[in-house]
Amino acid sequence: MVKFTVEELRRIMDLKHNIRNMSVIAHVDHGKSTLTDSLVAAAGIIAQEVAGDVRMTDTRQDEAERGITIKSTGISLYYEMTEESLKNYKGERNGNEYLINLIDSPGHVDFSSEVTAALRITDGALVVVDCVEGVCVQTETVLRQALGERIRPVLTVNKMDRCFLELQVEGEEAYQTFSRVIENANVIMATYEDPLLGDVQVYPEKGTVAFSAGLHGWAFTLTNFAKMYASKFGVDENKMMERLWGENYFDPATKKWTTKSTGSSTCKRGFVQFCYEPIKQIINTCMNDQKDKLWPMLQKLGVTMKADEKDLIGKALMKRVMQTWLPASNALLEMMIFHLPSPSKAQKYRVENLYEGPLDDMYANAIRNCDPDGPLMLYVSKMIPASDKGRFFAFGRVFAGKVSTGLKVRIMGPNYIPGQKKDLYVKSVQRTVIWMGKKQESVEDVPCGNTVAMVGLDQYITKNATLTNEKEVDAHPIRAMKFSVSPVVRVAVQCKVASDLPKLVEGLKRLAKSDPMVVCTMEESGEHIVAGAGELHLEICLKDLQEDFMGGAEIIVSDPVVSFRETVLEKSCRTVMSKSPNKHNRLYMEARPMEEGLAEAIDDGRIGPRDDPKVRSKILSEEFGWDKDLAKKIWCFGPETTGPNMVVDMCKGVQYLNEIKDSVVAGFQWASKEGALAEENMRGICFEVCDVVLHADAIHRGGGQVIPTARRVIYASQLTAKPRLLEPVYLVEIQAPEQALGGIYGVLNQKRGHVFEEMQRPGTPLYNIKAYLPVIESFGFSSTLRAATSGQAFPQCVFDHWDMMSSDPLEAGSQAGQLVADIRKRKGLKEQMTPLSEFEDKL
Amino acid sequence: MDFQWSYEIPRTVEFIRSRGFSRVALQFPDELLKDSTRVARALRHELGKGVRLYVMADTAYGSCCVDEVGASHVDAECVVHYGHACMSPTSTLPALFIFGKAFINVNACAESLLQCLSVSNKPVLVLYGLEYAHALQDLKSVMSKLLSSRGSNQMLYYSEVAHSSINPSGYHIKDIKLPESHEDAITDGEIIKNGESEVSNKLESGTKYSLGGLTWTTQSEHKMEDHLLFWIGSDNSAFANMVLTFNSCEIVRYDAKEGKLLNDFSQQTRILKRRYFLVEKAKDANIVGIIVGTLGVAGYLHIIQQMKELIEKAGKKCYTIVMGRPNPAKLANFPECDVFVYVSCAQTALLDSKEFLAPVITPFEAVLAFSRGRQWTGEYIMEFQNLMASDATEIVDDNEGARFSFLKGCYVEDHQPQENNGDQKEMPLALAEMTEKALNVRNQCTDSVLFKGTARSGAEYLAARSYQGLNMQYENAPLQSYVVGRTGRASGYDDEIE
Repeated sequence: MVKFTVEELRRIMDLKHNIRNMSVIAHVDHGKSTLTDSLVAAAGIIAQEVAGDVRMTDTRQDEAERGITIKSTGISLYYEMTEESLKNYKGERNGNEYLINLIDSPGHVDFSSEVTAALRITDGALVVVDCVEGVCVQTETVLRQALGERIRPVLTVNKMDRCFLELQVEGEEAYQTFSRVIENANVIMATYEDPLLGDVQVYPEKGTVAFSAGLHGWAFTLTNFAKMYASKFGVDENKMMERLWGENYFDPATKKWTTKSTGSSTCKRGFVQFCYEPIKQIINTCMNDQKDKLWPMLQKLGVTMKADEKDLIGKALMKRVMQTWLPASNALLEMMIFHLPSPSKAQKYRVENLYEGPLDDMYANAIRNCDPDGPLMLYVSKMIPASDKGRFFAFGRVFAGKVSTGLKVRIMGPNYIPGQKKDLYVKSVQRTVIWMGKKQESVEDVPCGNTVAMVGLDQYITKNATLTNEKEVDAHPIRAMKFSVSPVVRVAVQCKVASDLPKLVEGLKRLAKSDPMVVCTMEESGEHIVAGAGELHLEICLKDLQEDFMGGAEIIVSDPVVSFRETVLEKSCRTVMSKSPNKHNRLYMEARPMEEGLAEAIDDGRIGPRDDPKVRSKILSEEFGWDKDLAKKIWCFGPETTGPNMVVDMCKGVQYLNEIKDSVVAGFQWASKEGALAEENMRGICFEVCDVVLHADAIHRGGGQVIPTARRVIYASQLTAKPRLLEPVYLVEIQAPEQALGGIYGVLNQKRGHVFEEMQRPGTPLYNIKAYLPVIESFGFSSTLRAATSGQAFPQCVFDHWDMMSSDPLEAGSQAGQLVADIRKRKGLKEQMTPLSEFEDKL
Repeated sequence: MDFQWSYEIPRTVEFIRSRGFSRVALQFPDELLKDSTRVARALRHELGKGVRLYVMADTAYGSCCVDEVGASHVDAECVVHYGHACMSPTSTLPALFIFGKAFINVNACAESLLQCLSVSNKPVLVLYGLEYAHALQDLKSVMSKLLSSRGSNQMLYYSEVAHSSINPSGYHIKDIKLPESHEDAITDGEIIKNGESEVSNKLESGTKYSLGGLTWTTQSEHKMEDHLLFWIGSDNSAFANMVLTFNSCEIVRYDAKEGKLLNDFSQQTRILKRRYFLVEKAKDANIVGIIVGTLGVAGYLHIIQQMKELIEKAGKKCYTIVMGRPNPAKLANFPECDVFVYVSCAQTALLDSKEFLAPVITPFEAVLAFSRGRQWTGEYIMEFQNLMASDATEIVDDNEGARFSFLKGCYVEDHQPQENNGDQKEMPLALAEMTEKALNVRNQCTDSVLFKGTARSGAEYLAARSYQGLNMQYENAPLQSYVVGRTGRASGYDDEIE
């Protein structure tokens, strides 16, 4: 029973004012998918009765089994508003029909990349917050991301049913809880003052906050109640709205509104009096099966039930009654239509975030005006595996123009540079498809402002790309997405049967395409590595790899591999020297640790090889106390020319020095990628070239002589500067009730973690704990924690920083020494580190 | 050890006399050079005045190969090669190989072999380093005695030394006749046979294999993978060659010096994995250096040509460099090359040291890396005669779409080979494109060109270098005053010695 047809849907796609692209974002388990279901139900794709149980957007089997969302799923909804309900809508519109392109995104931090991809192609976000748990870590993270992309949020306080059934909270207490939740969200949003976007905070009295119970499929905004009471009290709807929130009290005894509680027992807050209490009353009557009381009440509210529904009892009855009275879809969809921007509105200000090229060219203008007749500008945000093995849909959003079946498009990949031929293909779209939950429907074309999936481009698009018309050669691409997490958990995979190698290789290629975040690489030793954002992410990826992309061929997965960094603790104890193979050239060098914060500054790109030397020397001298002249003598950064190590020229008056600079840098790039301890990347080391002796004849000081020597002297200086290992550390956030705290501390202690913040969530029995946890100890952390707290604590881990291990790796038997030995063994290197004498030469 | 016996003086004399050579080059590796005068004297004593003998110092290339270039300097008619040999076919001169005779305790060896037979139910194939070839007859007789006493009927095969001399025999690539064999067989053509080779050998007896101077045949019902390989000898390049070629076989090694049986070859499988990594790395390369590491092995010119075509077709740039015995310092003189293909005989081809700035791969690996759509299936070909033969089948060209790079962990685009024809036809467009390029803003940061391998030709690399060579200022060069240089040795000049 689908209430609408593809043709209908396609027709509304042209009405750019009547489209809303929005994503549903929230912390894990706050009920995004369940809430989405009730919206889908309203569109008639699934039956109202099962809404809340099906989780329409969890299309994968493992999603359904685990009860979490893994992939973001798009769904197009058709919604027809009544003329009456739209009378207050001030914006532009064409008729009463609306198309809502909704993307349900995962809430677990491991899948943040999916959220990023979803946000890019939407204009608004429905932020779902659990009314009891409040604003959590991931709520905050995704909210910030959304605002960074200039996405307007609306809020829904979800799981209202818990208030009524589970916790039995009194009205005033509930109000305080809700208002705190909203306030917390607003605190985050307030930091994103943006003149173009305007005020992004949410206010219940303005209708930008909804209260919902996704599981039971009902929701309301104050608008619903305001409408109801406005006629009764004979006041203006807007005025009524304002009275239903904040410091407005009503005493039915005196029939008077006050701004302070009069202290009389009948005087209650407007919200409590007119919204909370009636709902509570209805729910209680339903639950207690007091049908004789119920029917008159419902009649008063104008709710009519079908005959067969009247036979229901208890929870089922309650669910049905509430759904009929306050259908979630009405409240939420109305809120979206009223308060979230249409593409034509949103693209006016989002163009600055989106377009890389000049903001006054025809492409920028086409995006700005959401012009269906302009040049095609389409951003592919992710690749979705298709049902036929090995193929992918390219899923994205049309920002300008139209994409149609058979259209020849110019595909600009992430490495495309305007004017060059690199990463550029011209291919035709085989089919354009729109997504309706578990089904896909082909359409002839899709105009701007909509999301679309395309067939036939998967060979040319790796993860994301910008598409434009074949002839638009001067178009710039749309800016690449920035992810908030990085792939830090790595495992080595190999196939059980050697002859399956081609399958594995092919599978890894597909895996890399299907997930925006996963990275498939190879170690120097020839092992295939799969890296993901977290343990869960990796688990899902490996499952996909084996079952979907390798046709079930068996793979062997190693224990998680953590990458370390090599650094130094002090300045080299002496200037070390190495001679070139022909003994005619000598390099003198010292290593020293970088100033605190400098490595991070290089990571963030505040300091880098492309800087203006003047700006760089200003930052270095003002923030890190460098000598101004010295700052100009940085030869290079490394590894990969941008890494957090550098070579500085400290020589005075050396002849031919410019000749060997490139060779020394080449040696440095090499050495900083594979440090002397365990061939891990170096980090935070500054190498100072102290002196150089070169052969007078150019032929004897070529790259062949200098590159290996530079490498050796860098190793020698590293080894003489008290080398240390850096280990990656997670920031863990845990939310748990007080009685679980003991267990949490126990597990953290056992895993070398330490808590640095413990805060009680105001108004709740829940505590928020922030701790640092070494990544290497984090494997199995979630399950241990759950066991130790009987499932009450749920951690979220995000990579935070590198932490120096205090023990000396050069000392055999020390913790760091053992680690180095293990890494060397895994990499197939000689177990013993190469001694300093191999790198350092004597006169 | 008996000198005459070890250096096989009588056999050498017989070889030279029977063919009537008058100018003979004797090639010794460095470690045997100390015996060269004695050998030469002994030979001259036998041969008399009519034959001129030349002792050649070690070659600039692999000492296992016949140094034909060196020999032609003295206009020699044949080469007598001493020491370890790879038995690669020569292109112009006939050669006699004297492997030398290393000591082996035959009884201990037989004991180990028996032990192997008792634990494994696979047929056992005995292979050995050529320096142990002399002991084969003894071993066979000891083994047959032991086996018959036990009544074991397990299958045991021995490989034979194919021949100890090589004739160039008018080698032409077109003459390679592919013997019919099942897919996994590493077969050689008729190239290295002496003409008198018995072709009848492989009639019903299955497949004939040849590797590093050894030949053997397997029963037709067995594939190579079904055998247990028993190697007698040290862990040298010949052994590594064998392990890589038959990487799917179970292999044990009997070390004759230590008298021990070794069967842990995790290191060898590691090498295979590492080679796999190098192949992946080569796929990302833009500039390829072809190192010519032999001037003697038959077919080297052909393989170089083939490599050049392959690399060009893959849209990469290649430079050919002649270099004997590459080492890190020599190769680092070409920092613009992202990868080197080392064309040399099978046993010196594997160069893997972490000391090299850029990876060095074999021609076989280059074929894997540079032909699109070709996957490594586990087989490994070391000798390029086999490679030339196996490469006859053209690979399906799917030059479209991006290629996945396992090093970068993402898809990358390969450069398409220049389509010159198309450009020339559309002259007006070509001109426009040229000017467009001319007006491009030069990439200000040269780091990525220099150190991340994005340069596409040597010229581009040079342009990015901060130092581009001496700028000769012929006119108005300022006069430099005369300076006294340093004296002494480079390891410590006189003014530095305290």
